[in-house]
This record gives sequence, C-alpha cells and structure tokens, in this order.
Amino acid sequence: MIPGDVIARGNHQYGGYIEKRGDEYIALRVGLAEVGRDGVKLNPMTGPYMPRAEDEVIGKVVDLNGFGWVVDINSCFDGFLPASFVFGREFSPSTHDLSSKFKVGDIIGARIESYERSRDPQLSIRGQGYGKVESGEIAKISPTKVPRLIGRRGAMINMLSEKTGCDIRVGQNGVVVVNGPPEGIVKVLKTIKMIEEEAHAADLMTKIEEYLGGATGGE
Amino acid sequence: MSMKKNYVVETIRRAQMVEMLSRGQRADGRALDQPRPLSIEVGLIQKANGSARVRLGNTDVIAGVKIATGTPFPDTPDKGLLVVNAELLPLASPYAEPGPPSEEAIELARVVDRGIRESEMVDLTKLCLIEGKSVVTVFVDCNVMNVDGNLFDATSYAVVAALRTAKMKKYKVEGDKVVATEENIPVPVERTPISVTMARIGDTLVVDPNSEEEVLMDVRITITTDDEGNVCASQKGEASTISPAQVLEAADTSIRVGKQIRAQILEATK
Amino acid sequence: MESKKKLMDDNGKRLDGRLWDELRPISLEVGVLKNADGSAHIEWGKNKITAAVYGPKEVHPKHQVLPDRALLRARYHMAPFSVDERKNPAPSRREIEISKVIREALQPAVIVEDYPRTAIEVWVEVLQSDGGSRVAGITAASLALADAGINMRDMVVGCSCGLIGETVVADLDDTEDKEGNGDMPVAIMPNFGLVTLLQVDGIYTRANFQKAFELAIEKGKQIYGMQREALTKRFFGGEPTTTQVEEAAE
Repeated sequence: MIPGDVIARGNHQYGGYIEKRGDEYIALRVGLAEVGRDGVKLNPMTGPYMPRAEDEVIGKVVDLNGFGWVVDINSCFDGFLPASFVFGREFSPSTHDLSSKFKVGDIIGARIESYERSRDPQLSIRGQGYGKVESGEIAKISPTKVPRLIGRRGAMINMLSEKTGCDIRVGQNGVVVVNGPPEGIVKVLKTIKMIEEEAHAADLMTKIEEYLGGATGGE
Repeated sequence: MSMKKNYVVETIRRAQMVEMLSRGQRADGRALDQPRPLSIEVGLIQKANGSARVRLGNTDVIAGVKIATGTPFPDTPDKGLLVVNAELLPLASPYAEPGPPSEEAIELARVVDRGIRESEMVDLTKLCLIEGKSVVTVFVDCNVMNVDGNLFDATSYAVVAALRTAKMKKYKVEGDKVVATEENIPVPVERTPISVTMARIGDTLVVDPNSEEEVLMDVRITITTDDEGNVCASQKGEASTISPAQVLEAADTSIRVGKQIRAQILEATK
Repeated sequence: MESKKKLMDDNGKRLDGRLWDELRPISLEVGVLKNADGSAHIEWGKNKITAAVYGPKEVHPKHQVLPDRALLRARYHMAPFSVDERKNPAPSRREIEISKVIREALQPAVIVEDYPRTAIEVWVEVLQSDGGSRVAGITAASLALADAGINMRDMVVGCSCGLIGETVVADLDDTEDKEGNGDMPVAIMPNFGLVTLLQVDGIYTRANFQKAFELAIEKGKQIYGMQREALTKRFFGGEPTTTQVEEAAE
C-alpha cells in the first residue's frame, strides 16, 4: 500500500494508519495491509516514533535543568524525567545534585508515564529494570519494525537472544541495547539490519533462522 | 546555513571509542590513518561547465563549475577570477538550517578556496582576456548533500574533480570586445592539491573523522599538499590546542595519505 | 507562427523529437540521503532534483509552534550551477514564491493534525533545471514525505502543460517554456482528483485551457504510477504493486 490506496471496502473494524472515507478504508502510509477477522490493519514500513503512555523506551540524557533530565527518546519531542520521580518528594535543586544520578550522555531505560499533546512526554524509571544502562552496544531500528523484532509473544527476540547468548533490550522507540559475547553482538546487529531491510519479506523468519542456525556456543 | 553542534555521543559509546583508539583501532574498523571509501562521479550536471559528486563514507558533496566573463580586480588586472562557495544545505543534516551561511559554512568555503588558490591549481593568468578590462571568472559552487564528518576534504575533492574535468568556451578578442567561440577547451588546471583532515581524540590523531569522531575531537587540523609534496594550505579548527610535534606528524600524514587520494582523483578525472 | 516553426516542425515533432503529448523520460528513486528522515531523487528530462524531509521535529523558533497541528515548511532552492547562467545562491523572489506554492501543493495531502506542536520540513534542491522543475520537485517531495512515514491522505503529483503556438503540448522543457506561448504547472492528489497547484501563464482559448489542464491531470496520473513503482521498489523490494492484502494469520 502507498498513501491514498484503498485497502478494503465495506464495514470493518480498523486500526491505525488508516482513514475511513465513506465505505472505503484508505492507507495513510507505505505499508502491508491485512484484512481479516480482526478487521482492517496496516503495518507501516516507515515512520517516526510518536510517544505513547506505558511504552518502554531507551533514551539518552542530553541536558539537565533545575528540575530534571531532558532525554532524547528518538522522537519529535524529548522526554522529561522529573527529578522528583527519582529523588522523591523531598527533592530540591539546592540539596540534590542531578548529575550524581544521571549525566549527559547516559543511556537510561524508562517508561513513558504520560503524554499530553500540550507538553513533552514525561518519563518514569519506577519499576524493575529501569534506570541507567551501564554497558552494551547501541543499535537503532525503525520504530515501525519493533514489533517484528520482538515477534509474536516475543518469539523473535527470544530466539535471537538464545542463539547468540546476548541480552537484548528493545525500546518501543527503536533503540536497542545489546550485551553479550562479541560474536553474538555481531549476529544480533546483523539480524536487526535484516529485519530493517526485509520486514516485508514473507520468508524473513526462515532467513534469520538460517543465518543464526550456524553453530553457536554449546551446540 | 548553521550547524548546531548539539549532538550528544552516548557515554558508553564514547568510552568504547576511546578504548579502541588506545589500541590503535577505530569504531568503524578503520586504521588511524585510513580515510573512508572515496567515490567520485564527474560530469553529472551537464549544464555546468564541470561537475563532480564526491562521497567520502556517507559525507556527500556536489561541486559545480560555471564560467562567466567579468572585470578583474584593480590590483590584479591580468588575472582571472576564482570564486569558491559552499552551502551546507538544510537537507544534509538535522542540524543544518536554511539562511545566510553560518561561520562553519564560511570557514568551509574559505579553507577549500585557500587550498585551491594557494596551490595555484588554476593558472589565473591564463584566464585574462583583455588586461584590466575583461577576464574569465571561474565559479565553483559546492552543495553539501549529506553530512557525516569531514566536510573539508569531501568538498575539496569535489572542487578538484570538478575543475579537472571542466570545459569552457574558447574566447576570442575582437578589438575591444570579447567573443565566445564554439570551441571547447579545458579550464587551465596545473596541479592537484589534496587536503587531508585529521582529528585529535584524546591524544590520537585520526584521518578523515566521521560525525561521531568529530563530536569527540578536541582539535581538527587540515593540511593541503600539492603534487610535489609541498604544503600549500592549512587550517587548525576547534577551540583547543595542538602541539608542534603533532602538527608535523599531521603534515607527514597528509603528504602520505594525500598521495593515495591524489592518485584516485587523477584516475577518476582522466 | 515563428515560434511554432522553431519549436515544432510540420510533422508535429518537437525539438527533442517528442510529439505534443509525450513526456520526457522520468526516473524516480526513493531513499537517497542518509540523514534525512525521507528523501527522493527525480530526473525528469534534464531536471535533476533531490527532495528531503525532516520531521516531525521540534519547531524553531518556538513562537511559531501551532498547538493542534504540524507546521509544514517547504523550500525550493536552485543550485548556482543548475542553470545556464550561474545563479547567485541567495534565494530569489522566484524561489520564494515557488517555495510557497510547493508548500501549498503538499499541505492538503499531509495530515498535519496528527503531529501537533511539531514542524515538518521539506527541502527541494534543484541540481539541474530544465523546465517543469516545480512540478518535478513536488512529485519528488511527495515521495520523500511517504519515505519519512508521515501520514498522508494521498500522494501529490504534478505535470506542466502549455502552448507552442496554438498547439497544446505536455511537459515543456526549458526552451519551450522560454520561447513557447504558455506554461501551466498543475499538481493533483490523484485519488481525490483534486488540484493542489495551478499556475498559468500565456494566453489560452477556452478550449485550449481545458485541453492543457486536462492533459496535465492525465499525465499526472501516469506519473503517479511511477511514484508507486518507486515506493514499492524501496519498501517491498520491487514485488508486485497490486494491493498487498493478506488474510490475518490468526
């Protein structure tokens, strides 16, 4: 589909990236369409990350001000992590030094706490596994391909992790952090590239399985 | 166009890069004195008198030569004019904005111009038509199409390749008038100045820095050499210092690496 | 008429051999620049134009931000070496006007309401110009927007038609534009069938006006087919363009 194409006609449920005009369902992006029992869907092949509440994202601290950290979350807006979320309610700029916790250049895993259209998305690091990312290789993938990288119920990401011996952390915003043995990291990066470039291919899973299927440690 | 320098390199990444440099390696696998792959395409703009598109890694620059006639400067009545211009187009980078050229764009244009002019690549005396009245003006305009570090060298190579393949009409002087004939002649080009830019990260000099390396660099040095291995232009950039020993090291590197690149450019512009 | 004789011979052949309704060769490529969020390059006759899109992104200067939609910006700029006489790089009045009409040609297609408080920037850089550069630029810009994944109601595509003497012709090149008798760039959203750019110069009889106008739209739809191919090649590896409708797996 390209923008303006008619995906289907009739009366259906429909998902994002689709506009209903009369009885026609129109694609708004370049993507692959699906028409089935769940309605009309469009899987976009390209597009920016638009912040959504509850999304887990991986971001880069790019600035500090009196009240928190400004975080580049690979989106049109930077995220903001309020200092009070991290230091607690007794936080005050005179008693707490923000850079003692996170500095410019640090990578953090965070959750989008809220996103109102009138201001920048608020981040939170409350919860298991959030906070500073201490090490790893950083990769980027188009946010529209993240579902493919994770796979149905995590099928792809789990397989990738097992076959390479790597710990792979994927943000909904298209940022990925990989930790593990160097040969494993190379395979993960290559797989990410394959998904990026061939997400449309029907046999992508097979190709990846073949690529990874070569002997890994412990085979 | 202005380039806001606000790209932040991740601390983890910076540490990886610095650690690798201490072992003589770069993040993209290159040796310290190894430039990125260079591709040169000439003659792509037929309306221009000469043109070249240079890709140095992902940095992408197009140079176009246009010839016109004009009046010489009063203090050099027997010399043609050479005008080198560079535009950092907004399409080249998320940090570039439209508008009058920023100090970076102007520095780029002037450094490239100096390399060409000081080496006397174009013999301006051969561009004189009527002394004191009419000379040939050679315009070289550069469009930066994609930024990934080291605009100086990419732009300079594009200018050199465009000039080497540029053609102009032969002019005839009839009385007090200048007339363009139908004959095409090459723009008079004498030599091939090659610039080599290095960045110092920590204490290590690396040749042809990409965008990431430029964010980490403390100091940048560009040295232009000619076919005989003479240094004909140089520019130190960024607000830090460089030691005399490193300047000399840079000169030697530039002569050496410049030779390889000159060979490539000469081959592409035969 | 003198001009007609020069530009079109008695057999209806134009200087480059084309007949009245033939387009110059066009080639399109999507995804040509690394940094841009979306990009496309078009070669249309001797025109060589690259379009790039950045966005959605933060608005600078901040006071221009729109609370409920994206601010769409477009800039049409000609390289100094793109034309016969070297052009000064500073924007001319012509480029400023064309920038505006390009923005207005693209805006109806871009769903700006989906991106409040952001800017979407479209840069059209003419590397070589030879008549019809604005419609070529719009055609490439639309591809760049699709490449960037910006929500669009439809593509936008353009074509210019005009007059040589009293003959309506499609797709004037630079010589025909300068020495002919009229030029009419038109851009449309092909699925809606609505016009988003229309400029006319020259003197047309009512009949010729309609003929030129409808010819531009017809040719535009043809070029829309090429846009589809270019996007398909970029994103689907050139597999068939017919609607990719599959039954959902479960």
